[in-house]
Amino acid sequence: MSCREKRTRHGAAILTLFACFLLSSAGQAQEAANTFRQSCMSCHTIGGGKLVGPDLKGVEERRDREWLLGFIVNPSSVLASGDAYALKLKDEAGGVIMPTVVGMTRERAEAILDLIAGESQLEESQFAGLDIGDEPFSEADIERGRQIFRGDVRLANGGPPCLSCHTVEGLGGLGGGRLGPDLTKVYERLQGRKNLASWLLAPATQTMQPVYAKASITNEEILPLVAYLEDEAQIGTADTTTAQVIFLILGLAGAVLGFVAADSVWRGRLRAVRRPLVRGER
Amino acid sequence: MIHYLDQLLFAALPYAVMVVFLLGTIQRYRAQSFSYSSLSSQFLENRQHFWAMVPFHYGILTVLAGHLVAFLIPRQILWWNSKPARLYVLEVTALAFGIITLVSLGAVVLRRLTSAKVNVVTSKADWFLYLLLFVQILTGVYVAVFNPWGSSWFAASATPYLWSLIKLNPQIGYVAAMPLAVKLHIVNAFIVVGFFPFTRLVHILVVPNPYLWRRPQVVRWNRDPRRTGAIES
Repeated sequence: MSCREKRTRHGAAILTLFACFLLSSAGQAQEAANTFRQSCMSCHTIGGGKLVGPDLKGVEERRDREWLLGFIVNPSSVLASGDAYALKLKDEAGGVIMPTVVGMTRERAEAILDLIAGESQLEESQFAGLDIGDEPFSEADIERGRQIFRGDVRLANGGPPCLSCHTVEGLGGLGGGRLGPDLTKVYERLQGRKNLASWLLAPATQTMQPVYAKASITNEEILPLVAYLEDEAQIGTADTTTAQVIFLILGLAGAVLGFVAADSVWRGRLRAVRRPLVRGER
Repeated sequence: MIHYLDQLLFAALPYAVMVVFLLGTIQRYRAQSFSYSSLSSQFLENRQHFWAMVPFHYGILTVLAGHLVAFLIPRQILWWNSKPARLYVLEVTALAFGIITLVSLGAVVLRRLTSAKVNVVTSKADWFLYLLLFVQILTGVYVAVFNPWGSSWFAASATPYLWSLIKLNPQIGYVAAMPLAVKLHIVNAFIVVGFFPFTRLVHILVVPNPYLWRRPQVVRWNRDPRRTGAIES
């Protein structure tokens, strides 16, 4: 093999390694963006202002990376250690404790901090959150939100409607589901439009996250949903036990009807033919 | 700790029970093929038997079919449920069949306890199976009442979880944060599958389906009782 051929082969190997490195870095960055969207965005923005948690734009100017890594990987243990800054964050969040993200490692936390640092340099980050404004919602917005909540208008990306797992007072019929919490007062619990909109943008509970990660709620659906839940919070009271009792009674009535139907269908079974035959034999 | 328990129950247990199910059913068929039966005690007592077993089977088969449909065509179920009135009809029907199954199972167990002849032929494995079935149906009815609407959230969460098991890539996030009754219902279902080969449940694998479409058979009963003696019903 000539020197020229050797040089060509070495060059190709270096280029391949470089390409692999770039692809791997791009993959990590994409994973960090996905993690931020799914696990952080319901409480934090980057440059969009405070939600439940603080705005993370330039967060490394406020705390050093080592502290941030420790807090992202295991917030509860930092809080349990009595760390003054962590306790201050908890107070500012109205007592809400940052949950531990399942599968979070130091390496993944590093990638997220790199992402935040990069996004902080931009004029407008993709994680600035949804700004709904302060204008009063129209009746049409509220009604559309009600229809989306109930499922009459299906979510564009195929996700299940809110009614599958949640209820609100005044929904009508047998109400909504009770796998998740009653949402009548969720607008107040999350302290306003912006927080609620951010929550819907990336639902962060462990049960909702995998479902809506592949079927996210669009901005056009979030606005009417926020309108509906804001309206509900003003007029409703979170008590839906009546619908639950009616559902149970209907189920019991259906079961009784089933037994009555079975008895009428099989009324003559064994009694009409076989037993008289046996009696006749005696 | 809880995270590891979830891994054990929702990522490891399903595969362990499937291995037991496959090896156990094959081995039992090879070694004791004539034991593949419901070991029916109808011959010993048939009045209570009919009024317990028939509703039980109608109930459990309907409820199981509902689970299977939500597993196979979740999008269509979500489409059906997109009108709350249709969702309510589906859920009330499912609850009614669940209650029928629960009450009938109670009748089945009562018969096993009160009929001396049937009691004698009831094994420890039978009693354990009844316990498993009771837990399964009770948690199912409890979930239907207290954590509705299962037909929708099963399609959205449980179905992708079950498919992830089939694809050998368990995504336990779908079920790890579910309420305790839901998790118990899922784990108990796995235990029933694991226990399947050692019980009379094996009759499910040898259901005489042709009975559904074969021509009716006329059984004539014309022997002379004076020669053979009277018969007990």
